[in-house]
Amino acid sequence: MPERTVTVASSVGLHARPASLFSQAAAKAGVPVTLTSAAGKSVNAASILGVLSLGVGHGEQVTLSSDAEGADAALDELVALLETDLDKEE
Amino acid sequence: MTDDETQKPLTELLAPASIRLDAVAADRDDAIRQAGAALIEAGAVEPSYVDAMLERENSVSTYVGEGVAIPHGTLAGKDAVTDDAIVVLRFPAGVDWDGNDVRVAVGIAAKGNGHIALLSQLATVLLDPDKAAALRDATEPDRVYELLAADDEDA
Repeated sequence: MPERTVTVASSVGLHARPASLFSQAAAKAGVPVTLTSAAGKSVNAASILGVLSLGVGHGEQVTLSSDAEGADAALDELVALLETDLDKEE
Repeated sequence: MTDDETQKPLTELLAPASIRLDAVAADRDDAIRQAGAALIEAGAVEPSYVDAMLERENSVSTYVGEGVAIPHGTLAGKDAVTDDAIVVLRFPAGVDWDGNDVRVAVGIAAKGNGHIALLSQLATVLLDPDKAAALRDATEPDRVYELLAADDEDA
């Protein structure tokens, strides 16, 4: 199953704004994506509540995975998003 | 979780006077101002925090699903936060929140990285559809405490 492990770059972690942008992108990815915290808890990446519930801070690692066909491109896109500081634009 | 192990349970951040179960708002911004006013009354933020809340909302909606929005300030607005706190405003008639029907707004003020653990606790409660529905239908402050305390045991 394709998966990627990435370090969250947003300076304030995956909270409201970065979490919203990330889960919106996951919802648009066209394939179901699972987000797993370093502690091993997994949620639907397209669910903002799921993403928030993980409580991921800056610099923490998360894993993205999907067993759907053609998921690699979607995962690459989401990884790129997590590697960006999504809070810097405010 | 982060290295912030000192995060208080949600129920300790919510003062009884910060629960408004029969709120009425004309629109989204009115609801956010009311949440901000409740945070000011709770002694958690300075008045400038309300502008930061509105700014954040215009940047990205804080609607999280289940009829719940979690208005809070921008990163820059953190300077106006004097204490971690949450407020719960219930709008029985609903508020049009960027096209979503919001019944509960949970206003949030958190210093430093306190918001991560705080949002995690809140989201964990709301992920349970039964608890989210019970929060939307809560008519007694005690019920709100009960619901927000529910996940403490497995936190």
